[in-house]
Amino acid sequence: MLESRADSSPFWQPHDPEDEHLAEQVEHGREEHLLLDPLPPAENNAIVLESMNKTGKAFWMAVLGLGGLTLAFLATWIVQIFSGIGVTGLNRSVMWGPYIANLIYFIGIGHAGTFISAALRLLRMDFKRPIARAAELITLFGLAVAALFPIIHVGRIWKLFYMMPIPNQRELWPNFRSALFWDMTAITTYIIGSTLFMYLALLPDLAMARDHSTGWRRKIYRALALGWRGTEGEWHKMESTSNILSYVIIPVMFSVHTGVSWNLAMSIQPGWHSTVFGPFFVAGALFSGVAAVILVMIVIRKTMRFGYFLREEHFNAMGLFLLIMSFTWIYFYFAEWITNWYGNLPMEKAIQRMLTGDLAPLFYLMLFANIVVPVGTLWSRRVRTSLPAMFVICVFIQIGMYIERVVIVSGFLSRNELPFNWVNYTPHLPEVLITIGTFGFLALMYLLATRVVPIIPLWEVYEGQAMQATRRIGRAILPTRTESH
Amino acid sequence: MTNITRRNFLKISAAGTATAILAGCSQETERWVTLEPYVRAPEEQLAGVPNYYATTCRQCPAGCGVIVRIMNGRAVKLEGNPEHPVNRGKLCARGQAGLQLLYNPDRVTGAVRQDERGSRKFDSVAWNDAINTIYEQIDAAGSGVGVWLGSTTSGHLVDLFTRFTEAIGAPAPVRYDLYAGFHGYNALQSATGALLDGAGLPTYDLGHADTVFSFGADFLGTWLSSTGYGVEFGRFRSQPFGQRGYLVQFEPKMSITGAKADRWVPLRPGTEALVAQAIARIIADEQLGSAERAERAATLAGDVDVEEAAAACEMPVEGLVELARAFAAADHPLAIPGSAVAGANNAAEAIAAIQALNLIAGTVGQPGGMSVTPALPDAPLAAPPASTFADATALIERMNAGDVKVLLVHGANPAFDLPAGAGFVEALANVDLVVSFNPLVDETSVHADYILPDRVYLEGWGYSVATPAFGGVPVISSQQPVVGPLYDVRSTGDVLLTVARGIPAAAQALPWTDEVAFIKEMITALPTGAAGGQDEEVRWARYLQHGGWWPVEAAAETPAVIAEAAPSVPPTTYQGDEGEYPYHLHLFMSVLLGDGSGANQPWLQSTPDPMTTVSWQTWVEINPATAKELDLEHGDIVEITSPQGAITLPVYVFPAIRPDTVAIPIGQGHHDLGRYAKDRGANPLALVGLETDASGNHLAWSNVRVNIRKTDDKRALPRLESTIETDEEVHIPF
Amino acid sequence: MADNTTEHKWTMIVDLDKCTGCQACVVACSAENNIPTPSEDEILRGRGNQWIRIERYWEGEYPNVKARFLPVFCQQCGNAPCEPVCPVYASYHSEQENLNVQVYNRCVGTRYCGNNCPYRVRIFNYFAPHFDEPLEQQLNPDVTVRSPGVMEKCTFCIQRIRRGRETANAENRPLEDGEVVPACVQACPADALVFGDKYDENSRVAQMVPNERQFKLLEHMGTEPAVYYLKGGETHVGE
Repeated sequence: MLESRADSSPFWQPHDPEDEHLAEQVEHGREEHLLLDPLPPAENNAIVLESMNKTGKAFWMAVLGLGGLTLAFLATWIVQIFSGIGVTGLNRSVMWGPYIANLIYFIGIGHAGTFISAALRLLRMDFKRPIARAAELITLFGLAVAALFPIIHVGRIWKLFYMMPIPNQRELWPNFRSALFWDMTAITTYIIGSTLFMYLALLPDLAMARDHSTGWRRKIYRALALGWRGTEGEWHKMESTSNILSYVIIPVMFSVHTGVSWNLAMSIQPGWHSTVFGPFFVAGALFSGVAAVILVMIVIRKTMRFGYFLREEHFNAMGLFLLIMSFTWIYFYFAEWITNWYGNLPMEKAIQRMLTGDLAPLFYLMLFANIVVPVGTLWSRRVRTSLPAMFVICVFIQIGMYIERVVIVSGFLSRNELPFNWVNYTPHLPEVLITIGTFGFLALMYLLATRVVPIIPLWEVYEGQAMQATRRIGRAILPTRTESH
Repeated sequence: MTNITRRNFLKISAAGTATAILAGCSQETERWVTLEPYVRAPEEQLAGVPNYYATTCRQCPAGCGVIVRIMNGRAVKLEGNPEHPVNRGKLCARGQAGLQLLYNPDRVTGAVRQDERGSRKFDSVAWNDAINTIYEQIDAAGSGVGVWLGSTTSGHLVDLFTRFTEAIGAPAPVRYDLYAGFHGYNALQSATGALLDGAGLPTYDLGHADTVFSFGADFLGTWLSSTGYGVEFGRFRSQPFGQRGYLVQFEPKMSITGAKADRWVPLRPGTEALVAQAIARIIADEQLGSAERAERAATLAGDVDVEEAAAACEMPVEGLVELARAFAAADHPLAIPGSAVAGANNAAEAIAAIQALNLIAGTVGQPGGMSVTPALPDAPLAAPPASTFADATALIERMNAGDVKVLLVHGANPAFDLPAGAGFVEALANVDLVVSFNPLVDETSVHADYILPDRVYLEGWGYSVATPAFGGVPVISSQQPVVGPLYDVRSTGDVLLTVARGIPAAAQALPWTDEVAFIKEMITALPTGAAGGQDEEVRWARYLQHGGWWPVEAAAETPAVIAEAAPSVPPTTYQGDEGEYPYHLHLFMSVLLGDGSGANQPWLQSTPDPMTTVSWQTWVEINPATAKELDLEHGDIVEITSPQGAITLPVYVFPAIRPDTVAIPIGQGHHDLGRYAKDRGANPLALVGLETDASGNHLAWSNVRVNIRKTDDKRALPRLESTIETDEEVHIPF
Repeated sequence: MADNTTEHKWTMIVDLDKCTGCQACVVACSAENNIPTPSEDEILRGRGNQWIRIERYWEGEYPNVKARFLPVFCQQCGNAPCEPVCPVYASYHSEQENLNVQVYNRCVGTRYCGNNCPYRVRIFNYFAPHFDEPLEQQLNPDVTVRSPGVMEKCTFCIQRIRRGRETANAENRPLEDGEVVPACVQACPADALVFGDKYDENSRVAQMVPNERQFKLLEHMGTEPAVYYLKGGETHVGE
C-alpha cells in the first residue's frame, strides 16, 4: 500500500501550508495525541520544572495533614511495640488482621506501576510514556509501606533479624519451607528490581533537572544523575539494561503477589487453602493497582497542571485497562467463591457470614464497588475520559479491594475446624490509626517525591514524539510509529 | 498405680521429720523465703532440686491430701497425695489454686486494728498488744464469748476452741458457712441417722456401683468431696468386662455430673424425694428385682400414689417404672441425695426417702453401696460436725441480746455466707470486740476490730478429719508448714493458747505450750496406722511424711439398718407466690469458686466454668424458650427478684435447664476479699430467705421462687466458647 | 548404663467417657507452666491463654440435651502444620523427644503457626505476663515465663520428661511407665488422661490405643496427632 519509504516523514515536519486538509488533520492529531503534539524541549522542561518548584499553600497544608497522619501512625506503632500486640483486636483464632490485609493491599497497589512500565514497554504501548514514572513511584512507595506491615505485625520486632539469612556461628538459618520466607524474598527482590528500573529511567530526567536548577537542588540532582551526559553510549546502555530489567521484573512481579497469596494458600486454614489464590491475588493486585495509578494521574494532572502530558487518550486507555482487570478479577473471585460455597464445608461457613451474616454489609459494598461500579460505567468512553467520574470509580475500587483483603484475612480466620473457637474480629483503635496513618504516610512520601523527582519522564515523551511519523495513504495522512528499534 | 506410689514414696521420703521440726519451731521465717548462699542453705535444700512435703488441702472441707513441691523455699506446685485415701493422688482445680492463697497479694501482713468498724482503715499493732487486749476482753467477758468457725477451719482449731469455750462456760463454737449450708452435712448426717445405727456422714462407693441415681448431687463438681468422687467416677466408668455403669441424674439444671450422666432428668425442683418414693413404691408393687428387695421395698416404700407422684414431678409413669426396673435389677444400685434436697424445707425427710432406696437395694456397707464415714478409734479429736443453721441463728440472737462480748471468727465469712435477713452484720453492733483470724480482709473482717491473720494452710499446722472418708477408713489428714510464713502472721492456735494461759479455767483445759504439742499429743495417741511406726516419734514423723493417719484396712462392720417404716415426707412448699414469682431459683456452687472463698484467687476466677465457659462473672442461666418468651439474649442484664431481695446480673441462655427454673452460681458478689474478688458479679444469697425446715435446723435455700425483669442494660459475658450466634446446627467435630 | 537415649513416642490418651470437665487439668497446667492469668477483658476479646481448653459442645435440645466435653491441647502432631510455616524454625519437631516444640527465644511472633493450627491450641502472648506480687513466687523455676510477642503451647510438660529421664539416667535404670506424667494427667481426678511412651509395648498407653472407641481429633487433616481420644459412650437401660 505504501508508496515508498520516502512518503513517511516526521509528524512535526512543517507541512505544506497550502494543504488545509492536512493542516486540519495535524491539528486534530495534536489535540488528541500527546505524541503528535511536540513542544519545544524548553517549554516541556519548563512545565515539569515549574511543577516541581512550586509549593503553594495547598501543598503545605497537604504536607501538614499527611504529616499528622504519619505521626499518628508512628506514635501508635510505638505504643504497640511497648504495650504488646494485645492492643489490637486480634484474638485466639484471628491472629492475622488488618496488618496482613494492608500488606496485601499495599503490595497490590504497588503492583501496577512496574507492570505498566515494564510490560507496556515491551509491548510498545505508547500511551504509557507520560504515565510510567508516576506509576513506578506508586510501586516504590506502595512496596515500602507494604514492607512496613510485616514489621508492624510481628510480636517481637526486635528479633526480626532472625528472619534474614544472616550467616551466624550457630548456623541458624531461616526456614526455607516457610511461605513467609518466600514472600519476604519476593518482596525484597521486587523492591530492589523496581527501584533499579525506575532509577535507570530517571537518570536523563535528573540530568535535565540538574542542568536547569540552581542551589541545593542542583547539588542533589548532580549527585543523583550520576554524571549523565546523554552520549550515544549512555543511551544505548540504558535502553538495553531497561529492556533486560523489563523482562526480568515481570515474573518477579507475578511472584510477589503469588507469594503473598501463598502465605494464605499454603496454610490449611479453611477458605485460604485454595489453588486459585495465586492468579486471583495477582489479578486483584493489578485491578487495584491500575485504579491507584489512575487516581494519581488525576491528582497530579489537576494539582501540577499536567494537562499537556496527561490527556484524554491516557485516561481512556487506562480506563479500558481497568475494565479488563475488573473482568479478570470478577472471574477469579467467582471461581474462588463458587467452589467454597458449593463445597459447603462447615468450617468454610465464613461465606455464610458474608452472604447473610454480620459481614454482609461489607461484602455487598465490596461487590458493588468492585463489580457494579467499574463494569457498569467503564464501557463508556465519556466516563473513561471524565476525570471526576474516573476519580469516583477508582476510589470505589480502592475501597472494594481493601474490603476484599480484610475479609479474606480476618473473615476466614474467624471460622475454623473446631466451632468452639469461632471468634469474630473487630478492629480496635491501634490498627485503625496505623492503617489510616500509613495511607497518609504513603501519600506524604509521594507528595514530597513529586517536588523532587521529575514526575513525567520527559525523555520518554521526547522519544515517543520523535518516533512519530506521518504516512500518506492516498489523501490521508496517518500518524505512525517509526521503526527505529 | 504401683508406679505412682513408688515414685511418690521416693519423693515423700525427702520430706518429713526434718522439715516438720525446722518449720515448726522456727520464728525466723526469712531463711525459708530468701536466697541464701549455698554454704548456709538448709541441708535438704539444693538449688534446682525440689523437695516434696505432704499436707492437707483447705480450699474446701473435703480434706484431700496434697504434696507440695518446694523449690528454693518456695511452694511452686500442689499435687495430690497418691497414698491419701480421699483423693488418691488427684487434685481438683480449687486445690491446685491453693498456692494463690499463700501468695495472695491481698493478704493481711500482720496484726491490725480497725478503730472504726467498716472504715477499712487498718493500723498495724504489735502482736503482743493485740493478744493482750483480746485476753483482757475475753477474761472480762466471762462466758460472753462467741466463736464462729468455718468448714475449712483446721480440725485442731475446732478442738481447741471447743475445749476453750467449754472451759470458760461459753456455748460451743458455731461451725457454719456456705459449705455447711449447701452440702447439708448436718442434714445428711441426721437423716441417715434415722435409718442406720450409729450414723456418720454417708459415703457412697460409686466406683463399685453399676446403677447410680443421683438426686441433684453434683458430686463431680462441688458436692462434699468432688475429687474423691471424681476418682470414684473414673472407676465407675471403667468397670470389669467393659461395663461403664448407668448414671441417672435428676436435677433442674445440668451440672457437670448431669453432663456425664447417661440419662439427665430435668426434674421439677423439690420433687426429688417424690421420685425416690415412687420408685420404691413401684418396686414394691410390681415385685421388681430380687424377692428381698421387693420385700424391703414393701416396708420402706411410703404410701405414695405413683400417678400423682408422676404428675407432681412431671415425669411419665412409664419413665418411673423404667427407672424402678433398672434400679431393682441392678447388682449394685445406689441412690445419692444432693445439695438441693438438703436445702428443701423437708430436707431431713427427703434425704431419708432417697436413702431408703439404698436400704431397699440392700447394699448398705457393701461394695457399691452406701456406708457411713467411720468414727475415729476412741480419739479425743472430734470429727467435728458442722453446725446447723439453727446454731448459727442462735449465736446471732445471743449477739443481739448482748450476751456476746467477744466474737472470734476463723475460717468463716458469715457476712457473706448468710442470707442478708439473718442480720449478722447488724448483730455485730452489739458485740464489744470482734476479732477475725482470716488471712484476707473479707466481708466479715471489715467489721472486725482486730484482724489477727492466721497462717494460711500451707504455712500452718493442723489436721483435718476427712468428710466423707472413702473406702471405709477414717482419715485424719495431716497439715504441716511447707514454707515459712510469708508475713508476720501467727497461728491462731498459738494465739488461743496464749490467751488461755491467762484465764485459769482455760489454762487448765488447754495446758499445751503450743499447737504443735497439742496436735502431736492427739496424733500419737492414735493406734498405729497405715504409715506404720512403733515409737511415738517415728509415728509422728510418718504421720507427717505420709500425709496423715488412717488404718491399714477398713473396719468390717456394717451399720445396722434401724429404719422400720417408710419415712414420711411432707411436700415441698415454695417461698414466693407462683403468680408473682413464676420461676424456681436453683442455686449452685461454682465448680471453681466453691463457696466464694476462692474468689480472690486469679486462677479460679479466670478458669472458665465447665458448662457455660464463663469466667470472672456471675450469670443467670435461663432456658432458650424462656429467654425467647422474655425477649432475652446472652448478656442482657436482668433483675431477679425474690420475696427477700433482688439482684441484677447478665443472662446466659443455657440449653440444659428447665424452662421454669433459673440457675445462679454462688461465689461472686464480694464487696471485699481482695482485688480479684472485689465488686465482681452478684451474690445470689440476697434472694434467699430465712425459712427453715420443720425442725428449724436447716436453711431452706432451694425452694425459693423468683421473677425475672429485663433491664435495658447489656453486658457481654466473658465466655471462652465461641460467642457467635448461629442459627444452624453446629457441626461437632468428634 | 540404662538405655534412655532411644526414641520415645510420648502419647496422651483422653478418655472422653471419663472427662468431667472439672478444669483441674487447666489450673494444674497454669501452675506448672507459669501461664499468666487472662483478665476479664482479655477473655472478652476472645483470647484466653490456658494451654488446655475444655471445649463444651451442646447436642440436641431441651429436654434431650447433651453436653459433651472435649479437652483440647497441643496434639503434638507427627506431621504438624505449624512447623513448616514458621520462618525461623521456632516451631519445630524435636527428633529426640518426638514432640513438637516451640523455641521461645527464636520466635519472632509472626503468628503464622497459630493460624495454621487446625486445633487452635497455640497461644500468643499478646501482652507481657504480669503477676501481682507476691504471686510471682509460685512460678515454676523449671519453666520460662514467656516474653510478650511469642507463641507458646502445651509441651507435654517437657521439663518433667527431661527431669525424669535425667533422674533415671543418674540412677542407672530405664524410665518406667508412669514415672513421668504432665501436670494435667497428674491432677485429673477421673483418670481421663493417660500419658506414656507408645514405643514401650508394656506401657499403659500402648495397650490402650488399640481401642474401638479410639479416634484422633480432626484426623482427616493428616496431622498424625500424638493424642488419642476415646469416644464417650452411653449406657441405655430400658429406653
